[in-house]
Amino acid sequence: MKIGIPRALFYYQYYPFWKTFFESLDQKIVLSSPTNKDLLKKGLELCVDDACLPVKIFHGHVANLIGKVDTIFIPRIISIEPKEYICPKFLGLPDMIKNSIPDLPDIIDVDLNLYKSKIMFFRHFIKLGEILNKNKKQILIAFNKAQRVQQRFEYQLIKEKIVPQDILSETYKISQNEIFSYNPSKLKVLLLGHHYNIYDDFISMNLIMKLRKKNVTFITSEMVTNKIIVEGTKNLSKDMFWTLGKKAIGTAYYYLERKKVDGIIHVASFGCGPDSLVGEILEKRTRRDFHIPFLFLNLDEHSGEAGFNTRLEAFLDVLEGRKYFEDNIPTYG
Amino acid sequence: MQKCTLGIDVGSVSTNLVLLNEEKHLVKKVYINTAGNPIKAIKNGLIALEKELKIMEVYAVGTTGSGRQLASILVGADIVKNEITAHAAAALTYYPDTQTILEIGGQDSKIIIIRNQIVIDFAMNTVCAAGTGSFLDRQAQRLGIPITHFGEIALKSKNPTRIAGRCAVFAESDMIHKQQMGHKIEDILKGLCQALVRNFLSNVAKGKEIRPSILFQGGVAANAGIKKAFEEQLKLNVAIPNDYDVMGAIGAAILASNHVVSRKKQTNFVGMKITTRNYEIKSLECGGCPNCCEIIQLFADKKLMATWGDKCGKWSSTVAVS
Repeated sequence: MKIGIPRALFYYQYYPFWKTFFESLDQKIVLSSPTNKDLLKKGLELCVDDACLPVKIFHGHVANLIGKVDTIFIPRIISIEPKEYICPKFLGLPDMIKNSIPDLPDIIDVDLNLYKSKIMFFRHFIKLGEILNKNKKQILIAFNKAQRVQQRFEYQLIKEKIVPQDILSETYKISQNEIFSYNPSKLKVLLLGHHYNIYDDFISMNLIMKLRKKNVTFITSEMVTNKIIVEGTKNLSKDMFWTLGKKAIGTAYYYLERKKVDGIIHVASFGCGPDSLVGEILEKRTRRDFHIPFLFLNLDEHSGEAGFNTRLEAFLDVLEGRKYFEDNIPTYG
Repeated sequence: MQKCTLGIDVGSVSTNLVLLNEEKHLVKKVYINTAGNPIKAIKNGLIALEKELKIMEVYAVGTTGSGRQLASILVGADIVKNEITAHAAAALTYYPDTQTILEIGGQDSKIIIIRNQIVIDFAMNTVCAAGTGSFLDRQAQRLGIPITHFGEIALKSKNPTRIAGRCAVFAESDMIHKQQMGHKIEDILKGLCQALVRNFLSNVAKGKEIRPSILFQGGVAANAGIKKAFEEQLKLNVAIPNDYDVMGAIGAAILASNHVVSRKKQTNFVGMKITTRNYEIKSLECGGCPNCCEIIQLFADKKLMATWGDKCGKWSSTVAVS
């Protein structure tokens, strides 16, 4: 069977797992094209108006797969960490898709809900295997194999400080030298935001590439271990129950407290519910407690790159200026 | 021959050109409405500077503003800088003790925080253009008041009305409502100034520590009503530099001069021939891939000079710039 996977949203986190799992069960994987203008246009037409940009684009990716596959895999992702949630839009995503896109093939929309326990991750894939008429043994072998690949993927991001598209994309146009030309004296920023925003080069207007070209080292939440995130969030007065928000705040606090970064760039899509809270906490705390420059980049469907570039360039100028005169800056406050 | 630097700020509403001498003093400034045609504006600007350019030699050129890329291709700039860095550079050259810059232009507003002569933080308006020059322009037009008189009329008000400042659309309907209720025009204008400042301070300047001395730059600084409203709400003095309307261009010139001098470079300035050349812009949608990039081609006397706008480099890299 040909299973279609939209190259959007949790693709950036789980694709190695999904790919290995399905392929071990003798299924063929078809990915939608990388995000482009056509795809965005289709997504805008199909999606309800008040959804955020990544969800709209997801609609475009699903539409892109129609006619090419037998079934489309859109898991109902409710929670991916115990006692935490993902944005409610993910919970309703399969329904949204079925409701707004005509002529869909079958949709595989198995629940992924780890709120109560992590064991549900395993059960999620058992169920998936059962849908594909596989026996327990086959599923178990595929699951183990997929888990190993996924762990290697996550480890590689952390170890080599690279981004998912370096591994996932077959055509990512950047030489290995450029990635690893690490020079300790250059600027180091935290790049925070949902993975499906910052790693989609269309949505983020090539932000990763722009930073690399300007020789800026950046750390994302995917490049740090879970331990660091837990360490970073321990001083919050209350548990953060949005998984992606927690990752951002945990990473930020860990690095801010250790004074290891020159600035923070926070990328969020316009109208993002969880980020309206997370972004606010991040920005206020960064300014109040750490006096480190903070840049908020708000993304929506407009393609005006000029405003985006102006902010980014000015921000890097500020960081450079500060770094250059670092010794002269008193601890004002 | 005396040497000078040229600074060009191509903004959404106005295009400004300045000439600075080697001591970074202003020789001449030109303020031109962009009027949707930046190329023509730049040409006209240079024509206005023709007399000075004949007796002085340009040793560095810098461009800034939202049209900075286009301008740099046209004139052959030595440095292309964003508006924030340019504004800060200009302010710090003439007013070294500045700690805060408020800048309101045609399409955007920004705050720049400076400590010890270093920009340490900045913010720009996000998706909303309420509280920028073009909004004031539009309202003045609707009320039939020349924008140049806006400020002085607002200053006459003794009892300003409250106007919603969160959004330009709401502000407009609020203003119409107040005007139909019979409020005096100066009260409405003063109310609008206060609303704009309130919006700026709670939106753009959110969470920033505003310390004196404060400089107010950009085209809107000409509006005495806004300056007054800033002073009232901040309870601090707000100074307006002499050349508040061309500070971006001055900054670009200063940065260009520093850049050229420190690197001992020759300028790329193409000279006055820009003014006699016939420039043409063509745009097309590339159909090479589903990205459908909007490609812009610049022709000088029917000869292709530059192409930009593509994501992959297929167009921009194949054309030689003459």
